[in-house]
Amino acid sequence: MKRLAASALALLAAPLAAQDFSEGSEARTWNLYAEVPALFDAKVVDVMCELTGNCPANCGDGERQLGLLRSADNVLVMATKNNQPAFTGAVVDLLPYCGKQVTVDGLIINDEDFPINNIYLVQRVKAGDADWTKASQFTNVWAAENPDAKGKGPWFRRDPRILAEIEKDGYLGLGKDTDAAFIEYYFE
Amino acid sequence: MRRFWLGLMGLLAAPAIAAEGQRITVTGEIIDTWCYYSGVMGGPDSVVGSAHHTCALWCSASGIPIGLLTEDGTVYTVLKLGPQDNATGGDTALTLASHTVTADGMFYERDGINYIIVEEVLEDQGIVNLSHEDYDVVPSFAIPEPKE
Repeated sequence: MKRLAASALALLAAPLAAQDFSEGSEARTWNLYAEVPALFDAKVVDVMCELTGNCPANCGDGERQLGLLRSADNVLVMATKNNQPAFTGAVVDLLPYCGKQVTVDGLIINDEDFPINNIYLVQRVKAGDADWTKASQFTNVWAAENPDAKGKGPWFRRDPRILAEIEKDGYLGLGKDTDAAFIEYYFE
Repeated sequence: MRRFWLGLMGLLAAPAIAAEGQRITVTGEIIDTWCYYSGVMGGPDSVVGSAHHTCALWCSASGIPIGLLTEDGTVYTVLKLGPQDNATGGDTALTLASHTVTADGMFYERDGINYIIVEEVLEDQGIVNLSHEDYDVVPSFAIPEPKE
């Protein structure tokens, strides 16, 4: 009976301990202070659906945050960032896999002291025996959705909604007068 | 021993209970969670407020999760924000980037992450964290150099 109790306690403790999913990962470093390579199988889920049972079709068609329900331990990992160094999220890259089992490779961030738990940068994804796909689709999708925003420079310098916010409240968000004074100081 | 097993069963049932929502009202700043958690741009104090406002717009517009950072350091990942059904790249999230708000909604915790589904933004104080006074802008290229 004692051994059974000990096994039950070990089982209970398992999800709480940080597991190592780095084996086989080919994730490249971003030199983030708490990053660890992580390759794992998971189901792509609509996080709000997972928590509340409110589940629109196709994971909300891109309007909801997506998570990775890790097969090994049922932990819900937050798919926070895609593979592009361009201030880009991961929803666009994971939406085609809504509700499907996938394998993902990337960087996971956990830090008990901060605390940070299960924040994930997905670098590549595949379903079943298919080839890996780089999680770098955001800018292509953005360009297709914003044909009038063609031009030089990265997407975030040309995005109409971002430009409208900056036009309204400035780069600091504090109004155009504060912006003007700061810019004069900053580039003097 | 019977008490032990009952206690253990209670503990095993805990995750299901944790998934139940709880109504809360919280005040905090709408932040960009990736820069805050990853440290990619610097320490946590430098990637909030006015210094990071432009970057917060970039990240929010691309669908990076936004968070609500309270005064005690708790971060709630925002899954819905007021009138719009989502907080993923939506207009409300952009409008409230870096603002300190009081929000009423449902709180959930799962696997160490706090989530909030905001039903109503009760108060919007605007940007009150003037972090540019200490950090200028983060990243440093957030503001393009004016053309001559």
